[in-house]
Amino acid sequence: MKTMEPTTAPPAAAPDVKTMTLIEAITQGLHEEMERDERIFLIGEDIASYGGVFKATRGLYEKFGPLRVIDSPISENFLVQGMVGAAIVGLIPSPEIQFDDFISLAVDGIVEHAAKMRYRSGGMFTCPMVIRCCCGAAVGGGLFHSQFNASWFMHAPGLVVVAPSNPYDAKGLLKSAFRGQNPVLYYEHKRLYRTVKGPVPQHDYTVPLGKASVVREGSHVTVVSYALMLQRSLEAAEKLAAEGIEVEVIDLRTLAPYDKETILASVEKTARAVVVYESSRTMGVGAEIGAMIAEDGFSFLDAPVRRVSPPDAPQEPFAPVLADQYLPDANRIAQAIRDTVAY
Amino acid sequence: MPVSNDELRGLYYYANLVRQVDERCRRLFKQGRFHGTYFSAVGQEATVVGPCYGLRPDDVIGIQHREIGAVITKGMPIRYLMAQLFARQDSPDKGKSHPCHYGWKPAGIITPASTIAAQTVIVTGCALAWKIQKKDNVTIAFVGEGATSNGVWHEALNFAGVHKLACVFVVQDNLWAESVPKRLGVPVDNLSERARAYGFPGVTIDGNDMIQTYETSQEAIRRARRGDGPTLIEMKTYRWYGHSEIDPANYRTQEELEAWKKKDPVPRFERVLMERGIIDEAYKQSTLQKIEREIEEAIEFAEKSPHPDPSSLMEDVYAPLA
Ligand SMILES: Cc1ncc(C[n+]2csc(CCOP(=O)(O)OP(=O)(O)O)c2C)c(N)n1
Repeated sequence: MKTMEPTTAPPAAAPDVKTMTLIEAITQGLHEEMERDERIFLIGEDIASYGGVFKATRGLYEKFGPLRVIDSPISENFLVQGMVGAAIVGLIPSPEIQFDDFISLAVDGIVEHAAKMRYRSGGMFTCPMVIRCCCGAAVGGGLFHSQFNASWFMHAPGLVVVAPSNPYDAKGLLKSAFRGQNPVLYYEHKRLYRTVKGPVPQHDYTVPLGKASVVREGSHVTVVSYALMLQRSLEAAEKLAAEGIEVEVIDLRTLAPYDKETILASVEKTARAVVVYESSRTMGVGAEIGAMIAEDGFSFLDAPVRRVSPPDAPQEPFAPVLADQYLPDANRIAQAIRDTVAY
Repeated sequence: MPVSNDELRGLYYYANLVRQVDERCRRLFKQGRFHGTYFSAVGQEATVVGPCYGLRPDDVIGIQHREIGAVITKGMPIRYLMAQLFARQDSPDKGKSHPCHYGWKPAGIITPASTIAAQTVIVTGCALAWKIQKKDNVTIAFVGEGATSNGVWHEALNFAGVHKLACVFVVQDNLWAESVPKRLGVPVDNLSERARAYGFPGVTIDGNDMIQTYETSQEAIRRARRGDGPTLIEMKTYRWYGHSEIDPANYRTQEELEAWKKKDPVPRFERVLMERGIIDEAYKQSTLQKIEREIEEAIEFAEKSPHPDPSSLMEDVYAPLA
């Protein structure tokens, strides 16, 4: 058994590869894409001279000016829905939703307009845009600064939903998002912004949308995850390796439309699957992946598909003792994997 | 700038075309020739023909469900409009959307969703793009007075005011939002007053006076094209028929309806043109005959167009991912 870097990553020793945090990779990706294509512009709250509340847009206003990096009023609906119009007349807008907790105000724009524009117009109008959305728990944000609502948007055909777990994928997926014709909801997990570091090529590269990656190979059980939970799943896999359990870890990277083939090929090999995701439990990512495996991979299975997730609490609460109970950690993930292997 | 006789004749043609197409669509629906429903705007022609007449193809309009006249005046061929109602393969949306959600790219008509006021938000975003691109296109965003109660409309006007975008916001105040009377929807009589709060001018005009709707719109369009920012125009008008063809409109009185029918914008405009000698009876008859032929041709086109292929259910969901 061996631990691998993301399958698409080059060796860290390559001369033009830098070690970067996830947020640095995103910022660099934005700089490079805006240089490459002058149709791209950014709009969001506090993103211009302030550089964004997490500093993801640092330096862009200074470089590209007020017409391409626009401070928005607090107007989440306009931020997304208005940009559908900007996309239709030939620009590539990238609105930023400051926290996923406020995305509910933009759902009409995302689901009814961005996602459905191509279909509702019979392909006359396309809506290439990259909605960047900061998300995620484990930063002490409490109920209304911790949400990760990606699963809502996996129910909106026409929309691509992306959630990178590492700097390499973050930059590569961002570039693919800017180069396609689909609206993309690009999730940035704020806990990962500065806690995960990795190799990022300084030459141009992309990571394909709609393709999962096998980030660790193993033969006993498949773990499917993304974003922060992917990192914790890797920790769990490392622990279990010491116990002789070989875990194959799949990073979904794109949540919608997701890569069934990679998941099924892995489950065919391991016969067991655990889905680890960050949202309330019921009707989350685990429901879909579990159902898909049951439907298309039933004959591969030696054990029921297991879900590891927060409980159906509305969100991670603020009090630290409560918050600690919320997100699965590597121990909880490892225990679910052990149970699945022992089944 | 005085309105030329050519412009007046152009407006006359569209006012009649829109009226005739609209009445014909109602009949087609009642005959069961297409399904779903149909939103008539008979009685409101001047609120859309005036603003849209003379726009450039690369200008964009934002429409709701009742803007058939805006779509026709902006240049969507009525054969495609009929194909849209009939949900046929030759509909620009290939049968995907809903009756009265007209879209036609060559004329800058973005296929709408049903969400009230949403197209105002979308076309305001078009205007932001033109500002970034340093272009002088303009957009006209139409809503009924009912839609102005929705927060998203205010977000769009606020943003347009902040960035002085090339937008003309038209409110067609027809007194009813489906079954809800205006007094339960908005606490002011004149919705143009809203404009002050967004830092641009607003005017209330007679929405059944074609020359007024045209002249006022032209001024607002010129202002927007110059880069001087948005204008809000409220046009007082009335819809003659139900919210859609499945609504008997029992919530309003016959007297109210009759009073407004006396202010019918189409004959009123015709009288002015006749009095000024700009058109005569022969001109009228030849115009109406031409319109009749166009409508017949359009219906034939739509009815001959095949239904979409069942296999197209999953077409146009995503563009290629890579
Ligand atoms: C957000 C939203 N809520 C409700 C509806 C249902 N609906 C369709 S039209 C309408 C009334 C619209 O009134 P108004 O904006 O005044 O336009 P009018 O029908 O008078 O032209 C309603 C309630 C809708 N389409 N969208």
